[in-house]
Amino acid sequence: MADRIFAGVLLIVTLIYGFIAFTIIKAPFQYDPLGPESWPRILSVVATLCILVILWKPDTDSIGVARQTWFRLAAMIVLLVAYAELYEPLGFIVSTILFGLIVARMLGATWRRSAIFGVCAGVFGYLLCVSLLDLNLPSGDLIEVFTQRPTSGEGAT
Amino acid sequence: MGEVLSGLTTGFGVALMPFNLMLVLLGCFAGTLIGALPGLGPINGVAILLPIAYGLGFPPESALILLAGIYYGAEYGGRISSILLNVPGDSGAVMTTLDGHPMALKGEAGRALSLSAVASFVGGTIAVILMTLFGPLLAKFAVTFSPANYVALMVFAFASLASLVGKSTVKTLLGALIGLMLATVGIDSNTGVARFTFGIPDILAGIDFLIVVVGLFGMAELLHLVEQQVTGRLKTLPVDNSFVRWSDLMATKWTILRCSLIGFFIGVLPGTGASVASAVAYGTEKRIAGEGGKNFGTGDIRGLAAPEAANNASAGGAMVPMLTLGIPGSGTTAILLGALLMFNIQPGPLMFAQRPEIAWGLIASMYVGNIALLIINLPLVGLFARMLTIPQHYLTPLIAILAFVGIYSIVGNPFDLFMITWLGIFGWFLRKLDFSLAPVILGFVLGGLFEDNLRRALSISGGDWGILIENWKSVMLYGLALVVVVLPIWLGRRARTLPDSDD
Repeated sequence: MADRIFAGVLLIVTLIYGFIAFTIIKAPFQYDPLGPESWPRILSVVATLCILVILWKPDTDSIGVARQTWFRLAAMIVLLVAYAELYEPLGFIVSTILFGLIVARMLGATWRRSAIFGVCAGVFGYLLCVSLLDLNLPSGDLIEVFTQRPTSGEGAT
Repeated sequence: MGEVLSGLTTGFGVALMPFNLMLVLLGCFAGTLIGALPGLGPINGVAILLPIAYGLGFPPESALILLAGIYYGAEYGGRISSILLNVPGDSGAVMTTLDGHPMALKGEAGRALSLSAVASFVGGTIAVILMTLFGPLLAKFAVTFSPANYVALMVFAFASLASLVGKSTVKTLLGALIGLMLATVGIDSNTGVARFTFGIPDILAGIDFLIVVVGLFGMAELLHLVEQQVTGRLKTLPVDNSFVRWSDLMATKWTILRCSLIGFFIGVLPGTGASVASAVAYGTEKRIAGEGGKNFGTGDIRGLAAPEAANNASAGGAMVPMLTLGIPGSGTTAILLGALLMFNIQPGPLMFAQRPEIAWGLIASMYVGNIALLIINLPLVGLFARMLTIPQHYLTPLIAILAFVGIYSIVGNPFDLFMITWLGIFGWFLRKLDFSLAPVILGFVLGGLFEDNLRRALSISGGDWGILIENWKSVMLYGLALVVVVLPIWLGRRARTLPDSDD
């Protein structure tokens, strides 16, 4: 069943892909016998065939994930999205401290240890990446406002 | 021969530069650590650390040396969790649990670890030697390949992928097609026509390789870890003082030698990596052992040495087609190939001639790395064993933080962070439905090459599809593709008609 649902979704995507390949993509002029549309057309036909085989003979009945696990996974995804959303506004240090703390706590660490882990990951991670490895990480709008109040420069991003 | 020697000289010149030497050691150390962590394998380690290695702005040969060190280091490290925890780090280390863990239960963990370290070392070294000898030859042969030959080569690659990797042929093929389809997104370089971009500017240049890799192999793995979450600590068996004996090595020398060769050649086959190699090696040794094969699975030293020699040899073997043909031999080398493409280097037959410092530097670094791994693995195994007890509730957020750092530091676009999360969810579903993810990345990396060569071939012939089969090399490759697909089916049928076979 799980196979069929997934294959069904893929089939829709592939049909849209194929539809675009067969109707919309067109080079204004070309010298080669194969244009930009030919390869996607071949792929969409072969993929459709594969999906039909899976729909006809599925071999995975269910994903076998318990209800509680679904909750944990959903929570993890929400946290990841939130982390991505807050990455720039809060900056690496603050967002990582929060993310590390909440995830470690959610997965079973004690409050105290989660907090230590989060702070270590955020602060040492930032120092390591920015000072030592010279990587580009967001310092965060909030922190920029605090540290750069005297100059309040426009181009200070 | 002279060419090989001068190549090696160049290579060691690059690999022994203090900075590169440090990277080899660092990569091997980090790789062993990653491989030892339960649930993380070579492909995840390379995927998560690739964007960071890229962001550091190293020259291409240094970045590649680092990543390759992580790759075969992780093949080494995978055995530690297999033996001590009975939890394989990745699919390539599954076979090691069969005899390695029983040995540890018998109180011979130290012996098992040191024997497998030696087996890994021999396997890895034999693979590099074969690579040194055959790589340049293959490259010289491949220089004469026409676009039509390349199309045939791709067909062969995907045929062997579909037939040997994963549980279901159709699913593996569909996985590869998903990768190929993802690769068509973006502006077509021949005509400048935008394909499947839906007007989103972020993907006009195509979906970024790093995002696909980190999404599928970093974030999907993270979700998998969350799903499989084990509360509390895993129990590791203690590492005792027993050590590999000379008689053990004598008893397993032919096993190690045979399995290194098996591993190397399976590694060379496109798409098939350590998991197939170690499974085939284990099965072969069990059959060769005959009556004595009954002990396999209860802590037989041959059953431990076989998969370890094979999976390390396959890591070297997988590098050969990547360096000489531009076609990766495994999922992890597909990532390394993508890494080279990011540095604007097209791996292929000309690389040995045009960029010898990369091709030979990598090969030389593998000699150095194998020795380094043996040295750090024998005395430091206790340290790595202690790392196994890092609780998952710290490991999981750490993976996410590393993935985010890597992806953000490349271009600083928060849109990419969402992309890796969505791709991670997609990858997790694929995994749950028994699709293997390696074909997806192979398809994604090879997509451009496959399409370009097909179009070029047809441009040469003026649109006549006959060009694809008019050269003997192409016909031979199509023949091989057919053999690769048909042979396992035929062998499977034959095994079924012989019900008395031992497994």
